[in-house]
Amino acid sequence: MTERREMRKRILHYLLLLALVITVNFFLPRLLPGSPIKTLTGEEVGSLTAAEKQGILAAYDLDKPLGKQFLLYLRNLFTLNWGNSYSKRQPIWRLIRSRTGWTLLLAGSNLLVSTVIGSLLGLFAASHRQSRRGAAALIGSTVISSLPSFWVAMILLSVFGAQLGWFPLYGAYDLWGKYTGFARFLDILRHLALPLITMVFTSFMMFFTTARYGALQVLSDDYIKMAYMRGISPGRVRRAYVLRNTWIPVFTMVMLDVGYLLSGSVLIETVFSYPGLGSLMQEAVRARDYPLIQYTFLVSSTLTIFAMFLADLCQPLVDPRLRGAGDE
Amino acid sequence: MPAMNNLGKVGVVLLAFILLIALFAPQLAPYDPHKSSPQNYQAPGKEHFLGTNDIGQDIFSELLFGARTSLLIGFLSALISIALGTLIGMLAGWFEGGTDRWLMKLTAFFMTIPYLPAVIILSAFTRPGIISTSVILGIMSWPATARIVRSETMTLKKREYIQVCKAMGAPDRYLLFRHIVKELMPLIMYRAAARVRAGILGESSLSFLGLGSAAQKSWGTMLYYAQAKNALLTKAWVWWVLPPGLCIALVSCALSMISYGAETRLDRRMEDLL
Repeated sequence: MTERREMRKRILHYLLLLALVITVNFFLPRLLPGSPIKTLTGEEVGSLTAAEKQGILAAYDLDKPLGKQFLLYLRNLFTLNWGNSYSKRQPIWRLIRSRTGWTLLLAGSNLLVSTVIGSLLGLFAASHRQSRRGAAALIGSTVISSLPSFWVAMILLSVFGAQLGWFPLYGAYDLWGKYTGFARFLDILRHLALPLITMVFTSFMMFFTTARYGALQVLSDDYIKMAYMRGISPGRVRRAYVLRNTWIPVFTMVMLDVGYLLSGSVLIETVFSYPGLGSLMQEAVRARDYPLIQYTFLVSSTLTIFAMFLADLCQPLVDPRLRGAGDE
Repeated sequence: MPAMNNLGKVGVVLLAFILLIALFAPQLAPYDPHKSSPQNYQAPGKEHFLGTNDIGQDIFSELLFGARTSLLIGFLSALISIALGTLIGMLAGWFEGGTDRWLMKLTAFFMTIPYLPAVIILSAFTRPGIISTSVILGIMSWPATARIVRSETMTLKKREYIQVCKAMGAPDRYLLFRHIVKELMPLIMYRAAARVRAGILGESSLSFLGLGSAAQKSWGTMLYYAQAKNALLTKAWVWWVLPPGLCIALVSCALSMISYGAETRLDRRMEDLL
């Protein structure tokens, strides 16, 4: 039953990581220099009287001993009583809840599109392997991976948004249009297009390289040669034999980078003012709204850890060789 | 592949060129990059080679000084990251057993911490500056190096001359910091080029999010102001947004070429050994 034990170990690992993130989130603002009142109220601190300051300390339980503070923090965390954002003047929980969906939409569609495009191109490059093209692919991938994603986003927004006017300049949906049904779907898609293109452009390369390498390895295997010899059509060999095995390293890549893919949207969302978690974090950073920064960090880290865990769980589904390896 | 080795040389020349520019920025820059003037939003022309930004600062001078910040943070963060990664990897690989288990647990832990959110929150809670940004980028990025160095150390440890030295009573410290480090050097250099590149991209991302130091010109900070002042919607994007991004891309390309070059050398060395 090694498989189940392995699973328990993985779960424990992620739970510990989560506990670490929650603890760091509590201690970080307390360890660093600066008055907590300033952290909590921003620039208004100068105009407060001593009594008001005391009132704020009491409201946030900062006048209690540290251990008690930690317990109260945990209670508030799980009862979603996260306090207010002073820059947005809204409850933090409500702000974050309204933003999370958009980030998941953007990151999720990027994951889907980049892996599909990356692996198909990789497979293509592997089966049409020529040294000159190989070198071109190498140089192309070097250049593409050298471009800062947020800069690519800015250029695309400027050219296709501002100059040509093909795509909207900001947001995830039209703020004034009252679209319903299919029209709303199209509107959301139109707003998603540029951020998604940027993300795919800057992240499909890693899947391309992995898929190409994986496919090259499989292509030289004996059973592929055997399949050709048995007279199975080349197209079928590619689809049913090669692609199936190319997916495995690509999926491992997804697993390793799922965190990056989720949090990488901070920069892209910022450029397109896409109302996701990432742009919320950036707005919080710009306003030095520390409570909001902390909770966006907490939520995006939790999502990332959860995504990694999910990818871990899915691994045996993609690679049947891992299935039931433990039990006889 | 000889072509790859040439690629490495091109990278070195490019990087040296940019380093020189960074070094002599005060001599080369036609204007003080921090000095604002009433001539704002000027298109590139005779007076301002690459135009001016919203408060009339000369973009070309900003770019030259920006090279200093970007390269300095890139190199410093790589130094910290590589030093930590090499030390932890070497210790884990050399001693194995309990030390190895705990160090590798730590490494696996650090590896799964969401990188960008962690870097952002640490930067948000510290005073921005070259040192703090380099430290933050460095301590969040060592695990991958540690893993590679560990497995390489395990192989090196079995070398005959190392075993002989050990049998003759050479202390661990001597063997690790004299012989093993020397053998690891090509691998370390290869990782370092990649880390400098990641550090430069990391710095520009942080600065772009508004977490850079206002006192230091950097390519990311330039793009941050361009974004904040909506330069994208005006004609100014051509001279305000394009150049800093191209500079980042150029440095990062040069470093990629260097790591390709180092990689092929590494491969050849491996072949020689076999």
